[in-house]
Amino acid sequence: MASNSTRRPLPGRHSLSRDFIVRHQRERIINGLALEASERGYRTVTVADVVRRAGIARNTFYENFGSKEDCFLAAQQYAMDAALEQVVTAAGEIDDWPRRVEAGLAAFLAYIAREPALARTCLVEALAGGPAAMQAHEESLQSFVSLFRLGRDVSPYGGELPETLEEALIGGVFWILYQRLSLAEAGQIEELLPELVEFTLTPYLGAGAARELARSKEGASRGKGAV
Amino acid sequence: MDSPEYPPELARLPPGRHGLPREFVSRNQRERLIAGLAEAVAENGYAGTTIAHITRHAAVSRRTFYEHFNSKDECFIAAYDTVMTELNRRVGDAFEQEEEWPQAVRAGLAAMLDFLISEPHLARLSMVEALVAGPVVVERYDAAIQSLVPYFEAGREGRSDEVLAGLSSTTEEALVGGIVSLISRRIFADRTEELEALLPDLVEFALTPYLGSAEAAKVARA
Repeated sequence: MASNSTRRPLPGRHSLSRDFIVRHQRERIINGLALEASERGYRTVTVADVVRRAGIARNTFYENFGSKEDCFLAAQQYAMDAALEQVVTAAGEIDDWPRRVEAGLAAFLAYIAREPALARTCLVEALAGGPAAMQAHEESLQSFVSLFRLGRDVSPYGGELPETLEEALIGGVFWILYQRLSLAEAGQIEELLPELVEFTLTPYLGAGAARELARSKEGASRGKGAV
Repeated sequence: MDSPEYPPELARLPPGRHGLPREFVSRNQRERLIAGLAEAVAENGYAGTTIAHITRHAAVSRRTFYEHFNSKDECFIAAYDTVMTELNRRVGDAFEQEEEWPQAVRAGLAAMLDFLISEPHLARLSMVEALVAGPVVVERYDAAIQSLVPYFEAGREGRSDEVLAGLSSTTEEALVGGIVSLISRRIFADRTEELEALLPDLVEFALTPYLGSAEAAKVARA
C-alpha cells in the first residue's frame, strides 16, 4: 500500500507482534463497544464505557479510533465481514441452489448465536447509528442479494419475478432477526432456520417445494445438533 | 428569548386579540410545531435539529414551544404519533373498501405509498429519522410495523390446507419487514420518486405465499 511508504519503518523483529497487539487491541475495543451497545443502546454508550469494558487505556482507544462513531462503524464492518465470511464459506461448497441458500442462512444464524452482541450491533443498533451506519447496513443487505438472485436460474418463474424480490426477501429476514435480537432472543435464533428457508425459497420454487426442502433439512440438522 | 424569530406578520395566526378560543389557538400552535419539526428534521436530520429550528419553521416563540413540549424528543414523539395515526387511517380505510382480500392488500399498499409520496417530509420522519430518535420512538416504530401484520394474516382465511401448511408463524412478520425495508431504503436514499413504481412488486411479494406466484403477479399487474 502506498501509505506504508509514509510510515516510519517498524523496528524490525517486533513488527509482527506489534501488528498482533494492535489487531488484538482493536478487536477488544470493538467487542467492548458491541457489549456495551447491546446492553444499554448505542446512543447512551460513552467512550469511557467502552474503555472500561475493554480494559484498555483511554489513550489506546484514541490511538485506534477517532470517536465513538468511528469505533461503531468499525465494529459494524468487522462483524459483517466475519458473518459474511462464514456465509460464503458455507454456501460456496454447495452447488444445489436451494441447499446453498439454506447453508448460507444457517451459517448466518450460527454467527448471530455465537456473537450476539456483534450481531446486535449490525442488525439493531446500526439503524440508530446515523447515516453512515445506515449506509453500511444497506451494503450488508446488498451483499446477500447475489446469493438469492442465483435462484432465478433454477426457478420456473425466473424470468417474471419482480426486480426487487431479493431486496424484499432479505429485508424480511433482517426484520425477523432485528425483532428477535431486540428482544434478546439470540439464543433461539437458529430455530428460525426452517421458517426463513421456506420464506426465501417460496417465490422461486413455489410453496410446496420450498416447504419440502426446508423441512427435510430440519430433521437432518436436528440430528447433527444432538451429536 | 420570548420573541418569535419570525416577524409576527409572517406567523400564520396574528398575535394578540384575534378572538379565537384559546383551545383552538393552542391546538393550532401544536399542529404548527409538529409541522415545523417535520420540516426542520427533513432539513437537518433528527440529530442536527434544534428547538430553534423547530420554532423558526413553526413561526412561534420558544416559550410557546415549551408550553406544549418539554423537549425536542417529546415534540418528535408527538409528530411521529400524528403521522402514524394518519397513515394507519388511510391504509385501514383503503383496505376496508375492498371486498376481496388480494385487492384490499393492493389498495392498502397503494394508500401507504400515496401518502408517503405526497408527504416526503413526513415519509422521512416516520420511516428513517424515527430510528435515530431514541428508544421511545424506536419502540413505537417497531409496534407500528407489527401492527400491519393482521392485514396479511387475513389472507389465511379460506385458504387450502396445502397453502396454510406453507405458512409459518413468522410469514407475515417477514412480509411486512420486507415491504417496509423496500420502502424505507428508497426514502433513506432520497429516491422517493421510485415509490410509485414499487406498487406491483410489493403486491406480488405480499400475495405470493397465499396465492402462488402466478396468481399474485396477476393481481399485482392488473
